[in-house]
Amino acid sequence: MRKYLTVFRVNWQNSLQYRAPTVIYILGYTLYISVLLFLWTAIYGEGGRMGPYSLSEMMTYYLLQFVINSVVLSYVSWEIIDHIREGFFSHFLVKPINYFAYWFTINLSGKLFETVLILLAAAGIGLVVGPHVAFPSDPRTYATFLVAAGLGLVLAFELEFCIGLIAFWLIQVRVFKYMLQYAVFFFAGTLLPLDLFPRALAEVAARLPFQYLVFVPIQIFLEKRPAPLADFAAAGVWIVAVYLLARWVLARGIVRYEAVGN
Amino acid sequence: MKRSGISAVCAVRRTFRLYGSFLAQNLKNEMVYRANFVLLVGMDLFFMGINVAFFAILYANVTTIGGWTFHQTLILVGSVGLVREAAYLLFRQGFLELGDYVRTGQFDALLVKPIRPNIHLGFRHVSLTESLGEGLMGLALVGYGFAHVGTGWAAIPLYVLMLGVSLVIYYAFCLAINSAVFWIIKSQELNSIVYTFMETARYPRDIYRGLGKAIFTFVIPISLIATVPASVLAGRLDWGLIALAVIVAVGMMSGATVLWNWSLRHYSSASS
Repeated sequence: MRKYLTVFRVNWQNSLQYRAPTVIYILGYTLYISVLLFLWTAIYGEGGRMGPYSLSEMMTYYLLQFVINSVVLSYVSWEIIDHIREGFFSHFLVKPINYFAYWFTINLSGKLFETVLILLAAAGIGLVVGPHVAFPSDPRTYATFLVAAGLGLVLAFELEFCIGLIAFWLIQVRVFKYMLQYAVFFFAGTLLPLDLFPRALAEVAARLPFQYLVFVPIQIFLEKRPAPLADFAAAGVWIVAVYLLARWVLARGIVRYEAVGN
Repeated sequence: MKRSGISAVCAVRRTFRLYGSFLAQNLKNEMVYRANFVLLVGMDLFFMGINVAFFAILYANVTTIGGWTFHQTLILVGSVGLVREAAYLLFRQGFLELGDYVRTGQFDALLVKPIRPNIHLGFRHVSLTESLGEGLMGLALVGYGFAHVGTGWAAIPLYVLMLGVSLVIYYAFCLAINSAVFWIIKSQELNSIVYTFMETARYPRDIYRGLGKAIFTFVIPISLIATVPASVLAGRLDWGLIALAVIVAVGMMSGATVLWNWSLRHYSSASS
């Protein structure tokens, strides 16, 4: 455990050292979310309505998506790909550290600083659109939302870890990785709530694990999910399944590994 | 007076000739990696497809957004694709490489050439294929939307001209943001802002209100990039808006050039 704490601390200090990129990234994403909030206000102002959502529910959806995008979703595949491609992976073959747990620790510690910033930014936007935020009526909803987001965080990491491992098989991963990652985010509900999709696509999305990253936690916050416990159970099953998949892929990848570079 | 006019013509001709050689060189390079080319076009089509799907889902619920119909909106989405492709054919890729130039000190080489470093940087990496899928799909979307909107062909020259004005605004924004590279050294995140800038440009200007509208016109002019050219083709021509776009383009280009030239002085030439 202590070695992972060290990894956590070192990476946390690292992310503090490179503050500017995180701040710039948050600024860019704030711009994107602000534009979407203008978009929904304009649509509802013209008398339009997006499916079952009221304007305040729509605003809340995107404000929460804004936070979840930084806090829950994982972006470590970039670093994993570089590690494998440049041969740093060799170090792990001879060190008593679990590769999966190592990256999970990096993922968590890398998020701390970003989480603080994103909460500040969200609070800032919240001040502006304050009257439009749909807070839960039942205080227990906050707790269920946090559990759902926590499960989403684990599942999101596992999926991203698997995407990173593609580097064992492909040398030019960039394009493929972008498309896979975006497909995951699309079916997670980052672009639009999944229940606004055309019926056939919504049916597909409802059978995939990706909904537990963004859509389900937000639905729980909006008190639109009748049985959060069933969602927790389903997310739990997916977490175990994707974990087993990740281990299997890693084991196969090590066989393929050519130790280029170092 | 006459002499300076002649030298200006010479400078323009020289710039064109240089551009031609850089383009030819880079095209040869790109043709070598055919699989990469297919992948890039595939990725562009994938992302453009998602953009269209996003608006298709919106328009399944509403009839207009900010007064724009679905077909008019397709012209907006397509116009962003066209501006982006034009940008990759002129300057965009170079700015993505700028961080590496500055970090490794290779930027020195650009400073000593008899051509402005920002122009050289852009030309050096001109790419036809990096955004080709988006450009082609953009053209298809604009064509499809235009066919449904029923504006006359006479609108096309002004549309192309306003795409040019948008390209100037895009360049100015890109140059201004990338001026920070001499302090931050890494350009990846800076360019993610430039990317978001274009990603958010495809929504009609009419959705903005109050302070947001002012900011998205004069500071981060995303409300002009696609809306101004698209409004010409979509039958929503507004001369006031066209004048505004030209003024913003001139203002931003002057401001960005001053900012960039000032920032150049902070380049520390960190080669080892």
